[in-house]
Amino acid sequence: MALEAYVIHLLILVGIYIILAISLNLAMGFTGLLNIGHVAFYGIGAYTSALLALNLGVPFWLGLLVGGLIAALFGLLLAIPTLKLKGDYFAIATLGFAVIIENIFRNWISLTGGPLGLPGIPKPSLFGFTFSGFSYLILVAFFVFLTYIIIKHITDAPFGRVLKAIREDELATSSLGKNIVKYKTQSLGISAFFAGIAGSLYAHYITFIDPSSFTILESILIISMIIVGGLASMKGAVAGAIILVLLPEPLRFLPLPSFAIGALRQMIYAALLVILLIKRPQGIFGEFSLKKES
Amino acid sequence: MENLLQSVNFLFFLFLLIAMVATQLFINGIIAGAIYALMASSFSLIYNIVKFMDLSPGALFVVSAFSAYVFNVLFGLNFFLSLILALIIVSVVTIGINKFVYKPLRNKNANNFILLLASFGVFLFITGFILLIFGAEVKTFGLPIIKGYEIFGAIITKTQIILIVTSLVLFLFLQLFMKTTRLGKAMRALADDRQVASALGIKVEKTIAVTFIISALLAGIAGILVALEQNLEHAMGFSVVLKGLTASIVGGIGNVPAALVGGFLIGIIENIGIWFLPSGYKDAIAFVILILFLLFRPRGLFGTKTREEVSG
Repeated sequence: MALEAYVIHLLILVGIYIILAISLNLAMGFTGLLNIGHVAFYGIGAYTSALLALNLGVPFWLGLLVGGLIAALFGLLLAIPTLKLKGDYFAIATLGFAVIIENIFRNWISLTGGPLGLPGIPKPSLFGFTFSGFSYLILVAFFVFLTYIIIKHITDAPFGRVLKAIREDELATSSLGKNIVKYKTQSLGISAFFAGIAGSLYAHYITFIDPSSFTILESILIISMIIVGGLASMKGAVAGAIILVLLPEPLRFLPLPSFAIGALRQMIYAALLVILLIKRPQGIFGEFSLKKES
Repeated sequence: MENLLQSVNFLFFLFLLIAMVATQLFINGIIAGAIYALMASSFSLIYNIVKFMDLSPGALFVVSAFSAYVFNVLFGLNFFLSLILALIIVSVVTIGINKFVYKPLRNKNANNFILLLASFGVFLFITGFILLIFGAEVKTFGLPIIKGYEIFGAIITKTQIILIVTSLVLFLFLQLFMKTTRLGKAMRALADDRQVASALGIKVEKTIAVTFIISALLAGIAGILVALEQNLEHAMGFSVVLKGLTASIVGGIGNVPAALVGGFLIGIIENIGIWFLPSGYKDAIAFVILILFLLFRPRGLFGTKTREEVSG
């Protein structure tokens, strides 16, 4: 029974990270936006939905939607000052954005509870049925499926082909009369929306959130997932999320203090990222790799 | 009349109090700024010469502080010997990182985002390692607490004065090195145009290795100074490398002396800023400044790069 609960827990986490990886892949893999701040949208979704439920008694379903929308709004806001920036400057600006948001979670104590976080977030319920354990897994699986279908549809549509064209050659695409900034903004907004949904799913599953779940380390983890799977690959993002969530799990069974397990996890992720970047930057299923802009 | 006198007195004291707090915050800003300036020069050396945003100085900052702690506090070695040993370790580590991570990536023509991401990986690997070895609790050099000097009502300790002076002296040395020595000139040539420099017979890989070592020494000394002044923690490198990066962009990337101005500016603004905001917002303040600069003055205060190189 305990084993079953553990497996369900892992699968729920895998599902949440699949949504995060697929959504980041839309911005980073398909559009070429080197976003290191994806975790901020995840956190905004989680905090929005948790605060709505705790302070106003808003049901999960509405909170989830609003969480996604507020995250998307921040995505659009972030796009305004940053989209004109080149590669690594954009990356650093998004990193800065994530640090600012995390600082707000940590310091706006009257709203977010600061470092102590927000406990007692209610589990979702529908007609008197409360989702937890296996039924929560089904719920997450449903949203994973929805996210996958929608983003797959977006990237296969003409809209998605324009995004890829922007990634490959911005100048050429704009000379074809496409409004680059508009497309990039929309891509970042949609990407942020789904990260917000993932945040809400996380908050109502764990029922407790604090700023430590939304540090820049999480962003690097999500980026690693899509690099492992391969940029701009739907299958890759899913595979990457599964591999990276499960990979450090055996550590849990080592007789080590929790800080040491955390440290080893961090080292494994970091080493995997660096080795992949050197040996196989296109990942498992990747269709392109980040080569030098000439 | 007496009332008036009282309120004048009160206002005078209020003014004095504000002036004292302001001076203290200003001095704190200078102290923080001295560290940011060192980190900014460490960062901008690599950015100008090797052409990517490298976060590994943040890790070397931590490695250096912990190495000095091990030699000085745990092994009981003399402080200056510990300092030198720590700097040797940092140089070896940076050479290792360059050889096993950055060089293979350069040879594969990886773009600067891949290099940035790889440097993030290196940073996380090294700080994870430090956490594994030393644990999460805060360490200290355990220097005796000496009463500081008073300047206009603000307190500054001897360690803090040493910190500021060291930072300025190192900065001066770096300028002299870049302007007068063969190696420094080779580095500047590389910064201008790698291919031309190579055609002129400058050994590119050797010069890059030297750049990494100098950058690591700057970050390493900064780490030891902070460890002496405050304490040691495995996570101490992240915020500091980000401030260095911000300072060098604000000062003007492509211009190493500007890093000094950028560093002090960020240090002072964030310390004045926490007069109005909780001190936890320090990092956020620095990044808001960064984003404002990227928006309105992407080449920084004294930068030589045009807008086109920053935004496209």
